[in-house]
Formats: sequence, C-alpha cells, structure tokens
Amino acid sequence: MPALQLPDEVAAVLRAYYTCEVTTVNGKGQPMTWPALAYYDEATGEIFFSVSIAFPVKAQNARKRPQASLLYSDPTGSGLDHAPAVLVQGDATVAEILKSTPHATALNKLAQQRQPDSRRFLASNLSRRLFSWYLFKRIGITVRPRRLTVWPNRDFSQEPTMIEVAESEAANVE
Amino acid sequence: MWNKQLARLATQYPTGVLSVADVEGFPASVRLVARLDIKRRVVTFPALPPYAQGWRGKACLLFHRHNSRLEGLHQMVLKGELVEEGGAVALRVTDFVTANGRTNTDEMPHASHPIHMLQFFLLGRRKAREYERKRGQPWPPIDYAEVERLLRED
Repeated sequence: MPALQLPDEVAAVLRAYYTCEVTTVNGKGQPMTWPALAYYDEATGEIFFSVSIAFPVKAQNARKRPQASLLYSDPTGSGLDHAPAVLVQGDATVAEILKSTPHATALNKLAQQRQPDSRRFLASNLSRRLFSWYLFKRIGITVRPRRLTVWPNRDFSQEPTMIEVAESEAANVE
Repeated sequence: MWNKQLARLATQYPTGVLSVADVEGFPASVRLVARLDIKRRVVTFPALPPYAQGWRGKACLLFHRHNSRLEGLHQMVLKGELVEEGGAVALRVTDFVTANGRTNTDEMPHASHPIHMLQFFLLGRRKAREYERKRGQPWPPIDYAEVERLLRED
C-alpha cells in the first residue's frame, strides 16, 4: 500500500487527534457511529483501530459492508487548536487479532500514551485476567482511505475541500 | 424508544456528530449543533452544514466527550430518521444507545466506580462468551509474557 500524499495540516490531524468518530452501516442501512482511538500508519496510508469481541458491531457491520468512515472533529488533548476537521471515507478489512501485529502494537502504544491511566490498568495482573475480553480479545479494522473531506478550522458551515485518493498513486487535492 | 434521562443528558453537549450513508453507500458525518425537542421527541439542527443539506433517511447522532487524558469518557448514540418537518430537517429518534449498556447514564465505567466496573465486567464477559460461542472455538490463549515485554519496552 502506498503512503498518502496529504497536506501537512491534514496528516497532522490523522496523527494527533486522540479520537475520531467511526461510522459503519448495518445490513438494514442504519449507520452507527462510535468514538474510537485510531492509529494512522503513514507508511501505508492505512488507518487501524480495534474493538473488543464483546462489542463487535462495528466489525460485523464492516465485514458485511466494508464502506466505513472516520470523522476527526474533536481536537481535545491533541494540542492542535486551529486544525481542520477531516472526514475519511474508505474500505475496511476486518480480522481478529490473534497475535501481535505491527498495527496492533502501535495502537496499544498510542493508547497508553494518550490514556496514561490505562497503563496502570494493563500493568495489574488482576485487571488483565478479569478484562482479557476487553484488553486482548480484539478484532482489528483497517481502513484504506478513498476520499478525504476537509473543513478548515473545523468550520462545518463552509463548503469543504475534497481529496480523492487514487489507488497506487498520490492524493489529488481538488 | 425515547429515553427521558438520556435525552436530558444529551442536551448538555454543545455539538454532536450526525451520520448517514451517502449515495455511494459510504458513511458520511458532520459535527453540528443539535437541539433536543423533548416535547416533540425530535432533534432539530439550527444550522445544517452545506455538506449535509441533502441528507434524509436513516441516520444517527453521536454525543461524546473526553478530557485531555482520555478520561471522563461519556458517549451515547441516538438512532433515527432524518425527515423534513415544517421546512427544516429533523431527526426523528427511534432509539437511544449507550456503550456502557445502561439506560440512565452515558458515562463510561471507570476504575474509580467499582460498581460500574463490575456491571461492565459482567456485561462484557457475557457478550464475549456469546461471540466465542458463535465463533465455534475458544480464543487462543493470551500471551501474557509478550504483554509484559511490551509494557517493559515502553
């Protein structure tokens, strides 16, 4: 997978926003949106997040209907005050995380950096055993972006800018 | 189904995230100000963004927040249908959904609330077992030595 050629301020949002709002659509056409902590792999252009097997709806939806989106609209904690909002629409692939992968490891590190208290939770042997279904039994969802929609200064009252991501080539800003 | 308690909590959010599936089938979202009309049991939008002007049909509205340490997590979703009412677009709500499995709060469980953690543990363990039953085989053993190694590495 090739890296995405994105404007710096857009790449910064994908890197630094603590959470994004992930939407998948179920078989009846009902969209469902939940916040998620996602890892942006700049080398491949893919965005990775995971869900516990106890709450697998996002993964099940994406398995049946791979179109997914991630809206980056809340900069809390990121230190980016005047950054844009970015909507990423793309194709999702879903796989249980049965052993450590580079994406899963990177996401775990990111979670511990952004949520320092989670590290204490993870370090406790009791927490690990009781909440293994949440901490370790997870399903990974990888989104390959197709299109990005950008609202400068997170001003949704303005018409956004579109960035189409051509397969195997650099992104084109319209 | 309308939920009075969650509707009241939803009014405390300055903005929410409205999502639909677009004409190509991709989900699309915008962040916007949403007003809950408790009497009419609908959500109205004082200023629908240009990007969302044509949106109608099945939709959802997410409210969530966290602090700068990713703590104090609150989240809920209102499912429903975007319809035109009196010349404006409104979300006719069909359901309130929380991620904590509770119907009276959108607060996510935290270690500082042992009762909430216990409830979350019981819910999660039951649902994880359901997933494993459907999966047909148990999840492979967790490699705790690897977890320890990763913790030491950081």
